[in-house]
Amino acid sequence: MAADGEPIIGLMIFAVACGCTVVPWLLSLVATFIYQPSKQKVLLERETQAAIKGDALSTLSKPFGDREIKQTKMLMASVVMSPSWVQMWIGGIMSLFGGQINVFTKVVDWARREAQQRLREKVAEEGYDEVINMRIETTMLTTTRGGKDKTSGVEILAYGTAIKY
Amino acid sequence: MQAAPNLIFSNTETIPGMTITQSLGVVTGSTVRAKNVFKDIGAAFKNIAGGEIKAYTELLQESRNEALFRMLNDAAARGANAVVNVRFATSSVAGGAAELLAYGTAVVAQ
Repeated sequence: MAADGEPIIGLMIFAVACGCTVVPWLLSLVATFIYQPSKQKVLLERETQAAIKGDALSTLSKPFGDREIKQTKMLMASVVMSPSWVQMWIGGIMSLFGGQINVFTKVVDWARREAQQRLREKVAEEGYDEVINMRIETTMLTTTRGGKDKTSGVEILAYGTAIKY
Repeated sequence: MQAAPNLIFSNTETIPGMTITQSLGVVTGSTVRAKNVFKDIGAAFKNIAGGEIKAYTELLQESRNEALFRMLNDAAARGANAVVNVRFATSSVAGGAAELLAYGTAVVAQ
């Protein structure tokens, strides 16, 4: 008889099942409420530092003033962000009721700010003064899982023409 | 990948500080890319936590440069020395592949 072996095997199966279902959700929960806000805080600090000198980005097709432009170059910066499992789950429930879906707004807004900040940093790094005609483009990335297209992230691209006076 | 042709490109209608003397038509460059299985698995794990997926960011950057490079080659073949009004379009093709397109107007500028 395997009477005394069965409870242990049962317990092991239970533990593995728990490990496969509960642990990722716990990780996701921690990531959503601790890891993501900490990353956003760092981004805010970078943005604040850049804002001291005035924003280098603009969507105008011509720069202000009559200063002579010595050099131009097109620069771009992009980022791929994805909502966490918890955010996807909350978003799924919220979309039943309609209206603004806060969790997705947050992720996309974060990605957009990150892309713009990267462009600002790139401009400073390459020694240009300003970016004109900046455009932002958004793309959904999908993966096929089980014959179904699932959203795996959103790509934000910020690009513009950098100019040097 | 060969060295990119030495062309000026810009997403404004003119190149600041230069005058356009001749338009040579629309030039395009595109590429369809998929990431590899291992990166896909890594990204699926990163999906649990959310936030940036670096593997995809890098992949898309690489492919966008490739598309841009093809567009510039097209322009160089037409005898242009600049490309203005460059635009990007990205679409997700089924199966986790993405198509990146860069297009613009090839011009001769002085």
